[in-house]
Amino acid sequence: MATAEKIKSSRRFDACPVTETSSGIPVNEVYGPQDLERINYSRDIANPGEYPFTRGIWKNMYRGKLWTRRVFTGLGSTADTNKRYKYLLEKGASGLYCFGDTITHQGIDPDHPLAEGYAGVSGVSMVCLQDMYDLFEGISLEDVSVSFNNPSMAATVVYAAFVAYAEEMGYDLTKISGSILNEPIHLVYSMYETNAKPLDLAAKLATDVIEYSMKNTPRWHPIAPNAYDMHEKGANAIQEMAFTIAIMEEYIRRMINRGYHIDEFAKRVNVFGCACDIDFFEEICKFRAARRVWAKLIKDKYCAEKPESSRLYLSVHTSGNSLTVQQPVNNVARVTLQSLACVLGGLQSFDPAGYDEGYYILTEHSALTSLNIHNILAYESRVASVADPLAGSYFVESLTNNMEEEMFKIINKINDMGGAIKATESGWIGSELESELIKEQKEIEEKKRIIVGMNEFVIPKEEEVPIKVGRDRPLDEQITTSKKREDEIKRIREKRDKKKVKDALEDLRVEASKGEGHNLIPLMKESLRAKATLGEILGVIREANGASYDPYGVLQYSL
Amino acid sequence: MIEDSERKIKVIVAMPGLDCHDRGIVYLSHVLKEAGMEVVYLGKFNTPERIVNTAIEEDADVIAMSYLNDHLYMIFFPKVVALMKEKGCSDICVVAGGRIIEEDRPKLREYGITGFFGQSTPTQEMVRHIENRVKSERWKEI
Repeated sequence: MATAEKIKSSRRFDACPVTETSSGIPVNEVYGPQDLERINYSRDIANPGEYPFTRGIWKNMYRGKLWTRRVFTGLGSTADTNKRYKYLLEKGASGLYCFGDTITHQGIDPDHPLAEGYAGVSGVSMVCLQDMYDLFEGISLEDVSVSFNNPSMAATVVYAAFVAYAEEMGYDLTKISGSILNEPIHLVYSMYETNAKPLDLAAKLATDVIEYSMKNTPRWHPIAPNAYDMHEKGANAIQEMAFTIAIMEEYIRRMINRGYHIDEFAKRVNVFGCACDIDFFEEICKFRAARRVWAKLIKDKYCAEKPESSRLYLSVHTSGNSLTVQQPVNNVARVTLQSLACVLGGLQSFDPAGYDEGYYILTEHSALTSLNIHNILAYESRVASVADPLAGSYFVESLTNNMEEEMFKIINKINDMGGAIKATESGWIGSELESELIKEQKEIEEKKRIIVGMNEFVIPKEEEVPIKVGRDRPLDEQITTSKKREDEIKRIREKRDKKKVKDALEDLRVEASKGEGHNLIPLMKESLRAKATLGEILGVIREANGASYDPYGVLQYSL
Repeated sequence: MIEDSERKIKVIVAMPGLDCHDRGIVYLSHVLKEAGMEVVYLGKFNTPERIVNTAIEEDADVIAMSYLNDHLYMIFFPKVVALMKEKGCSDICVVAGGRIIEEDRPKLREYGITGFFGQSTPTQEMVRHIENRVKSERWKEI
């Protein structure tokens, strides 16, 4: 017998410490039939594919079509990204994801003084028509859906460039599918707010994309508000969906004011990008509740007559914030759990974050792992075979109901304030996010929220198994990349027919001063064909609306 | 003369450049205020000039900067220190956080930049670090 002291488990009698969901809804030890008493099957749950779509928007869900299997992409040059696209398509991806670089998100050009070091660095630079040619070379746009992660005003130009490219290539616009983030209001407190000012103009341009797309690219989703950003900035699961729904009501009102009936455009404003965090059941119920809330609003408040108008499409990038830099392989477990919640929650598309997201943009290897999380769920695990398999669970239905009620409370409150733009400008939404963020961080610090490897079950760094993670480009390479891109744009500027550009931009300026009823997408396309750039196009539109040409006040219009 | 124990440490909290990941500084500001410090919150999208000028105008003790998105902090952070030197305010303590990779830290330390707070740094450690630096470097001559 060994004489050495034996190791004892200090956790042998641990009990699950959780008594509430992440967003603070109390959870009982057990649920039973009494928790379903207030629920009426046909009113609240109904079959998949039927109003209020709690169980999913299609009758047979994934038996009809699997979710779109995307992986985060967007790095370096348009040519690098094109190469990665081809790689992912060969490996089974069914949709492409395009993430703009910092300056494209900001709506400024690579030769802007503040852009130094940023062009094409942590995303792909898209500022002129030529970029679309480079991005999609050799890829058939009629056979793949493309999801652009461009927010706000810059998104309107990227959309115009995408459409102009598709036209020049002779694609049938009615067969082009995909989505663009486009929504500016949430940006004010989540990301590149300079690109969303003035907010009213930004919301007008976003509505132009919705209107143009409704008429010309009917399979395209012209706005996909990024609830994700708000989640990562602090919003809990209830706030995330409630704020986003309230934001989307702004566009619904604008489209109605432009004279359209909800049934004409509902299908163009029904895609949300959200996060999927680690609270498994709450996230599933979040998706179920959000579909129900949306369906009720569209039907009851906006008087939709067609049942399909009330369908809400949900798409997810799991949650970068929930991942750790410590022991990155653990993130594969987290992302798998989150991805399973996406499938059980009946999502239309999602991209599992890379296990190395805490380090840098995905390597080819982590991108492949993310793609294989899709493949394992879709083809190996059999979880996708039955539509909404959790329906009828005492707990799931009860929590779905609770979340619906809480979402409606927030939505009503925002409407009482005069809508999401008002609630943003008054700072209310921002301060709600901030206090939730502080609460969450405190809970992490006090170990009320356990994050394995970060605040509990920590191991010394030297004990970690070394794995390949994405690394920053070395600084000099980053500067060179950006400089190369800057030079490219300068060359395009020098070579183009200046008069042609100027004429196109001046036409755009005149149209832009006419206000709400004048859709700017056609003249944006003309300007892009004349080789105008993102910064110039947004600049003249801003000037025409009484704002400065350059969002940072550094550049002047110089054509 | 005000006793050290009553005197409030004044901190400029800012992100240089175009990085948008501000979750860290939002929380840091809260933590520093709770610890009794005075925070001048500049938020995102600052030039090094704006950060240093504000620090001078506000007579700040500390500049706390965060950066996460990419590698450009190796340009912005040293630039802030160079500007401080140029403008004669090198006595301000500079601390940094976000995603500052291990290999860059020795070089940043040479510039007098310390801290390197990250996702899992306990907040009390950040507070202590800032207090220690201010009390040992900045307030000792006063």
